[in-house]
Amino acid sequence: MKRVTITEYLEIDLATDRWHCRSCGYDLISARQNYKEGCLVYPRDPATVYDPQIKGERYSFAPDKSVCVFVEFYCPGCATLIETEVLPPGHPPSHDIEIDIDALKKRVNYGQA
Amino acid sequence: MPVSRQQLLDWIKPDKPTVEELDCLRALKPGDYEVYSEKLSMILDEAAEVFVKTGVSSMLHSGDLVVGLYTAAGDMVVASCGTYLHAVTAQLPIKYILHAFLNEPSVGIREGDIFYCNDGLYGGIHNPDQIAIMPIFFEDVLIAWSCAAVHQPETGATEPGGMPASAKSRHDEGMKLSPIRIGENYQLRADLMEMMENMISRAPRMQVIDVRARVTAADRIRVRTQELATIVGARLLAGLFRQMLINSEEGARKRIFGWCDGTYRAVSFADTLGRVESLTRTMLTIIKKGEELTFDFTGTSPENEGPVNAFAHITAAHMAIYLYAYAFHDLPISSGTFAPLKFIVPAGSLLNASPEAAISQSVYACYQVIVLAPIVFSKMMYASKQRDLVTAGAGNNHTAPFIYAGINQYGARVADLLAYPFNAEGGGARSDMDGVDCYGFPYAHYGRGPDVEDVENETMFLHLFQNIMPDSGGIGKFRGGTAVQTMLLLYHTPRVAVSTMGITTRVAVGQGLFGGYPPDIVPGIQVAGSNTLELMNAGAEVPRDSRELASKCSITGTYSFERTARPSRMLAKGDLITAIGSGGSGYGDMLERDPELVATDVRSSRVSLWSAKNVYRVAIDGKTGLVDQKQTARLREEERQDRLARGMSFEKFMKDWSTLKPPADMLSFYGNWPDASPNRLIIRL
Repeated sequence: MKRVTITEYLEIDLATDRWHCRSCGYDLISARQNYKEGCLVYPRDPATVYDPQIKGERYSFAPDKSVCVFVEFYCPGCATLIETEVLPPGHPPSHDIEIDIDALKKRVNYGQA
Repeated sequence: MPVSRQQLLDWIKPDKPTVEELDCLRALKPGDYEVYSEKLSMILDEAAEVFVKTGVSSMLHSGDLVVGLYTAAGDMVVASCGTYLHAVTAQLPIKYILHAFLNEPSVGIREGDIFYCNDGLYGGIHNPDQIAIMPIFFEDVLIAWSCAAVHQPETGATEPGGMPASAKSRHDEGMKLSPIRIGENYQLRADLMEMMENMISRAPRMQVIDVRARVTAADRIRVRTQELATIVGARLLAGLFRQMLINSEEGARKRIFGWCDGTYRAVSFADTLGRVESLTRTMLTIIKKGEELTFDFTGTSPENEGPVNAFAHITAAHMAIYLYAYAFHDLPISSGTFAPLKFIVPAGSLLNASPEAAISQSVYACYQVIVLAPIVFSKMMYASKQRDLVTAGAGNNHTAPFIYAGINQYGARVADLLAYPFNAEGGGARSDMDGVDCYGFPYAHYGRGPDVEDVENETMFLHLFQNIMPDSGGIGKFRGGTAVQTMLLLYHTPRVAVSTMGITTRVAVGQGLFGGYPPDIVPGIQVAGSNTLELMNAGAEVPRDSRELASKCSITGTYSFERTARPSRMLAKGDLITAIGSGGSGYGDMLERDPELVATDVRSSRVSLWSAKNVYRVAIDGKTGLVDQKQTARLREEERQDRLARGMSFEKFMKDWSTLKPPADMLSFYGNWPDASPNRLIIRL
């Protein structure tokens, strides 16, 4: 079994069924779980990403952190920003990639991945 | 009576082949498919050219159109777009006409008929999108249908512009035509054209000219198809049509099979419903198994009393915009592509509202479908041979359309959209390159922005500036394409009514990809009673950037910073108002972006020095514009260490995070928090 690339920064080791960081190889978590649960997480104020430009107004050039947060997921090994998800405060992060691992193994065995 | 919304959704898929079609298909000779499928595409391209040149409204000139050819049973065989949106939905009123009128003696379907439709209950998108439909007969047999559709910027609704933000039910939205015969024996009926002029009295001339343009385009397809049938025979066309449907389906199935089985999800939020602020949520789950896809929108916010609602077939049609342009871009644009696709759009959600709901802003209800499709598909396709199609979303924070209405400098009554800002949105960043700056329109990828000079000649406005907006491209290893900012000055007439419609000002609707960020957001900016004309007459400097104008207020006047959805108001000569587009989303970790590319972006005003330093962590000499590589390496290493220090374990993060909630006044129309399940009864009068 080999490691199969899934995204820009993620791969799955089919021998161990584990998510790994593609940048440093860090073992994140079981591939049958949400990879985000193996990352470091930080809720970033969008105003630190986009300069609001306008002071004291309800509307500016940056999203409002009371309703919009850039939730960042870092690799604990190399700090690569694996994913960013835009969420209102308190909204659960999505389980965005749920690969059918057993089907993937069959594809690899048949040379289709 | 309208058919059920589920029936409309089912009609998107092609009918099963008939025995006769299969006989005709088997009779095709080598080369027939290649030669005549290309011939059909050329017929459609010719009709699209005719369409653009015979109409008058801005959306037509910018290319937000479709012309299509359909089988006798109403399945799309090939289309020329424009927008793939209408490619799907134009076949639904055809199927309705067949279903309701073929055997109805008082109507029937005859050679020379011209049908017309713009009601979502019969397959349309929203009532500005009007469709002309013609049956194509050969030797007294119905062999095909043609259609031509484009957005009309006025519908006779409660507000100018065809998409009234104040609409509370379908009864506020103006002209809605179920499929109706407006012409016989290849002649439009004067009484029905008069009816439309009467309904669209804000811009009657535009309505009549554009109806004729639609019919002219549909008729060109009819003429060319009949000419081709005369040469090759109707049986060859029937076989060819079915082969094109089969090839699309087989191509789609083969491509889907190449992706990893699994479940893929994404979520997007907006903050505006017509005239009110409230968060809404759109959820997309794609289940990929074998060679089939299921699109499940369960978890999307409930329908609401405003106009930001859609029906299930409209939701599916928005998915077509992505599918035909990206995942299946090299397959024939036919309904065969939809055969392996299943849609689950919960009734009662804002993507599948009740029949009485206002849906004039259905394209905004479905905007998040456009946002979510590239994100979910990219996560499904990255590990496949389609990695080159992986992309963040284009124009990802929704550009608010700018509508104006009044009497222009030539004395004509007009109501139209300014087509430039949303036809010059930023493209999404890809796995190997930045998004294209000012690429086009996420709803109609081939859309084009008109020249400033043409707009100033045809409308009441001068452009104080129209240029690339700094920091408008989503940040990432590869940057989202930049948007265009326009500052309009009312110049040619003493007054004009304007409004804009948007779905967000405080939240980012877009999602970046693989660590990239969505693009920035913008407020609506207006300066009433400005001294711009005095400054220009005196030869003084005027601002060339909306951010500079907003932060320095260097033009005198009364400033307003509003939501992008701005209610109708009157502008007076000399007033300024913005129309700003959205950039594309970014891709990848911004700390991996080549510092030289950041410096190039700073020198060309695509990225600010502030962003280069604080987000990309690139040190650039303010005087020379050159990168300090050592300092950059230090800044980036500091940021990596900061990430490790500030990042929390998922468990710790969720412990604090799950106690948070947006302000109650922003959840009025969201549904229950956080799953967005329905939480109240909606009653429409």
